[in-house]
Amino acid sequence: MAESHDPDWRLAVDIGGTFTDFVLLDASCGRVVVDKTLTTPNAPLDAVRTGVLQLLAKAGVKPSDITAPIVHATTLITNALIEGKIGRAGLVATKGFGDTLLIRDEHRYDMYDLQIEFPAPPIPRDRTFEIDERASAEGSILLEPSGAALDQLTRQLRTANVEAVAICLLNSYVNPTNEQRVAAHLRRELNVPVCISSDISPQIREYPRMITTACNAATMPVIGPYLDDLQKWLAAEGFGGSVLMMLSNGGVVSADDAARAPIRLVESGPAAGALAGSWFAKRLGEDRLLCFDMGGTTAKACLIENGEPGLTNTFEVARAYRFKKGSGFPVSVPSVDLVEIGAGGGSMARVDQFGLLKVGPESAGADPGPVSYDNGGTITAVTDADVLLGLLDPASFLGGDMPLNASLADAATGKIASKLNLSTIDTAAGIHEVVDQNMAAAARMHGVEMGIDLRGVSLIAFGGAGPVHACGVADLLESDRVIFPVNASVLSAFGTLVSPVRIDLARSLPRLIDGIDTAERDALLDELRNEGRRVLSAAGVPDDDVVFRYGVDARYAGQGNEITIWVGEGEHWPATSEQVHDAFESEYKRIYGMTIPDVAIEGITWRLSASASTTVVEPDEQVKSATGPAAPRSHRPMVFGRGQDPVETPVYARSELGAGSTFSGPAVVEERETTSVIRPGWDVEVSTDGSLIATRVERNATNETGAA
Amino acid sequence: MTTEFDPVELEILWQSLISTVNEQARALQRAAFSPIVREAGDLANAVFDRRGRMVAQAVTGTPGHINSLAIGAAKMLEEYPLDSLEPGDVLITNDPYKTAGQLLDVTVLVPAWRDGVPIAFFGSTIHHTDVGGYGIGAGGRDVFEEGLWIPICKLMKKGERNEDVWKFILSNVRQPDHMAGDLHAQMASGQVGAQRLNMLCETHGLNDIEDLADEIINRSEAATRDNIRGLPSGRYDASAVLDLADGSVIDIVCSIAVDTDAGEITVDYEGTSEASPWGINVVKNYTHAYTTFTVRSVLSPEIPNNHGSLAPIKVVAPEGSIVNAIPPQPGTARHVVGMFLPNALLKALAQIKPQEAMAEGSGAVWTMQVNGNYPDGSPFITAMFTYAGGVGARASKPGLSACSYPTGVSAVPIEVVEASAPILFRQKSLRPESGGAGAQIGGLGQTIEFTVDTEKPWQLNAVTSRLKHAPEGLFGGEPGSAGGFTVNDEAVTTQARITLGPEDVVRLDLPGGGGYGAADQS
Repeated sequence: MAESHDPDWRLAVDIGGTFTDFVLLDASCGRVVVDKTLTTPNAPLDAVRTGVLQLLAKAGVKPSDITAPIVHATTLITNALIEGKIGRAGLVATKGFGDTLLIRDEHRYDMYDLQIEFPAPPIPRDRTFEIDERASAEGSILLEPSGAALDQLTRQLRTANVEAVAICLLNSYVNPTNEQRVAAHLRRELNVPVCISSDISPQIREYPRMITTACNAATMPVIGPYLDDLQKWLAAEGFGGSVLMMLSNGGVVSADDAARAPIRLVESGPAAGALAGSWFAKRLGEDRLLCFDMGGTTAKACLIENGEPGLTNTFEVARAYRFKKGSGFPVSVPSVDLVEIGAGGGSMARVDQFGLLKVGPESAGADPGPVSYDNGGTITAVTDADVLLGLLDPASFLGGDMPLNASLADAATGKIASKLNLSTIDTAAGIHEVVDQNMAAAARMHGVEMGIDLRGVSLIAFGGAGPVHACGVADLLESDRVIFPVNASVLSAFGTLVSPVRIDLARSLPRLIDGIDTAERDALLDELRNEGRRVLSAAGVPDDDVVFRYGVDARYAGQGNEITIWVGEGEHWPATSEQVHDAFESEYKRIYGMTIPDVAIEGITWRLSASASTTVVEPDEQVKSATGPAAPRSHRPMVFGRGQDPVETPVYARSELGAGSTFSGPAVVEERETTSVIRPGWDVEVSTDGSLIATRVERNATNETGAA
Repeated sequence: MTTEFDPVELEILWQSLISTVNEQARALQRAAFSPIVREAGDLANAVFDRRGRMVAQAVTGTPGHINSLAIGAAKMLEEYPLDSLEPGDVLITNDPYKTAGQLLDVTVLVPAWRDGVPIAFFGSTIHHTDVGGYGIGAGGRDVFEEGLWIPICKLMKKGERNEDVWKFILSNVRQPDHMAGDLHAQMASGQVGAQRLNMLCETHGLNDIEDLADEIINRSEAATRDNIRGLPSGRYDASAVLDLADGSVIDIVCSIAVDTDAGEITVDYEGTSEASPWGINVVKNYTHAYTTFTVRSVLSPEIPNNHGSLAPIKVVAPEGSIVNAIPPQPGTARHVVGMFLPNALLKALAQIKPQEAMAEGSGAVWTMQVNGNYPDGSPFITAMFTYAGGVGARASKPGLSACSYPTGVSAVPIEVVEASAPILFRQKSLRPESGGAGAQIGGLGQTIEFTVDTEKPWQLNAVTSRLKHAPEGLFGGEPGSAGGFTVNDEAVTTQARITLGPEDVVRLDLPGGGGYGAADQS
């Protein structure tokens, strides 16, 4: 390649459930090259090797040209927990509390369903061992574990032949000494990785802390060997850069740190997607942007506020019973705050006992897939409806590699139509509308949880089905702008390249904000800062480049749910008690619309975010300027609502759209992996990087009540 | 003029209504002070139409609250008819006999206005921390001793506090801050619902939700009646025995009549024990709540809970019996009887739908409250914390171990209890062998032991049950283990608050569930 400057190649890899995505970015000029291969679930490194080499060949780049760290997002941990393909871990608990994982929080997640089930814990009871020790809730050590008890524990774990150990002792969130003591002993005696709850999730509430630590230990034997093999292969190929892993909260850390706390990778892929959304939000100057990611089985919505996704400390993984909330493991690690529901291209339609149309959460998945895949599916799915409406072209699905069978979709939808006493095409329009409504409702709930009214928020659409449904969801959320980014299908991998190295640390120390012992708080923050420096240093960030940001989860004394407030940056805690007080009250008022006078404020969990100050690389992909008005490649009839006649609609090829060109909906824009549907009432302009920016020009009439 | 809805429109509107109350419930749980609300989810939210009929409820909380709210809201509107309300008014009550059966449960009703007309009501019932009086437990001798009775009245008038009402309430409770905060949270969540409903009407061109409510309620009622018509008609009798710490024994006797002509089920508690002198008497609403809940969980769990799906299930209970308390019979701990009712009902339902039923379980969650002094002499009082025993085995699955049923409440974490008071737990473990044997084994109970780190006497307010009569098995399954409630290995024999010393060890052995089917039939 003839370049006028020295290229500076950055590589990102994202292992997803179906595809592994690759992005190569030349930081010196902003050029981007992308590729994707099918994921190889049993040997994930295979897909990585194939894809990386394929991509390098495509870009004409040698492994040794890549000297910057390679950034890696992955769903390996989530999938390992969902499928139970985890390591043989052991668990150490306080004497009298070895059944904590079986007792959980005693909650029944579905009141009316007498048949509910819970997943088997990642570490079974017969590999859980109790040790006589105790710390009090105030943090004093009431009983140290004896040498004899430690020796017995060692023997038990050895006999159980464990590959990793989780230690979770009562009240260790306030005093980790006993956990550290037990861990030090086991590390000396056993040649397996050991993790402690006060490192992994040092927060009050024994069950979430223990399940998080257990999930962590059980996945250490999964991620460790994978990362070793990856690094060996990269070295053998002559790559220069180390490996950085994307965490659930959008931070990135060294491979070694990731291997110690794999549970922090549980939402790695979606976090990367949210970061890409953040990057777009900043670039487009949007204070608020809703990432809307719709795939085959689920849809996710994540709100970017002031350029950043929200964070949450609980995330439920591996829902075991009908995808129901509460049927999985409530892991407690910092994660990007997003909502996920069973709504995707594969979501199946049915008629319920009231004669009403339901869509999802059951999905036809990829196998057999929607009826039109002609792969044995018999129940109409969202993709089938989209085909019947004309939104998807059966002949050019996946660039024509996988033609769809519209007549099968028609027959299957006809069956549902007759039960509803509607026409087939109205039924297809109904399926499209119901799934849009489900997604909009989930997004609104996400807004409520964050204390934000989502009306008017701009959307950014990605995932295979996201661009098909984004305008419809936007209409329901009363949004006026939808962004269809370039490279939407590899957006998560892209997100890893545009984020600084970062880790978020937290520790619980419940104290009233007024009259707090600042020495006690500062000692805790000192420890967190040291850990932050160590982690960033391991990821290649010099000490001078580390920026610390401080926050606290606070509540009115007596409440049970905290809200996180961030109080500023610096080498020390930067806020007075009064400032914390004010910050809390203004955030509380924003969320709940009121404050409560004369009640003390209590800080529960203290937070430190350590990140690299260095500016990140800026992709600067440019498409050619349009030389004339956008020219459709073809037209076909499409239906945009129940009871409406088909409209002859222009079809554009994304690759043929030049920067600056404009057109109006209804229209669709086709590319290999997806189709962007521009509904009536929306105008589009192609931006300089090739993104489609759709703006609503009139209230859409298509979602109005169509009384039958 | 009646608006008609096609099957797509109705689905969208119905789901929107349910998600509106879900949002309301989420907002309430997040803002609540009462620990039992936020940690354990002890709350109910629902939306009512102009006729006071429950149209949709939040998918959360406890059956006792939700189905009691369903009736309670209508009674509040009887007292304050639509034309007596003005924009900005909010209604309140904790009248136990008209709502959920204990003074701690406070119901707030927020009208939603549209063009100057009240079109719907957003109701919430939550378990407050304290309403004065005896406090949590079964020791109050009548309702007046149990705490402050708030009659149905206006909490807000035209958007302003009804100051006299607030003064009365806040002067009569031990934690006025929490009470005020929780009332605010209830009102704020109702406002969230009202705003959302107005948007929904705007988007879909509705003036009110009366026609929509008719559709939802009529379809739910018709589907429920159809399900009942598919059952074998007849009378199905069953009974279960509940014993309490003081040795009292309560017989719950029920007869379920299936009328396939009318598509109705009538549950009659004739023969059930008389009211108790303890505060464990259940008001009719609460009996109705757990009865309809249990019947629907076997008959048609997938039909949303609303006025229509509840209507075909009738409940008859002799007045003045323990399942139909009248003023001033006390009832703060009525959950111990109310949550036990499914044990009898499921045995009758097992004769109708054996595959859907389950064996007897441990009954109500055991509730605890501790107060005393820190070593430095300053006083402490915990919020109520609860523990669950084993649930009965099911036709094709074992019983759930240490899991709440029939409520959906969570246990308060050990670490949260220890952080709130100088309590030290020695163990919280499953009770081995406590589940009844059978083709499917009953769920295990659990053992909990604790002490209090103090130098002064302290008090324990515990409500336990099933200490002698173990949960029975079903269809040849063996019984689970009965419970145990001891201090220093000696059985406690009262339901009242007890005073203990610094060295005393409390031990709770919660019952295990019964087995399903004979063991050799597997």
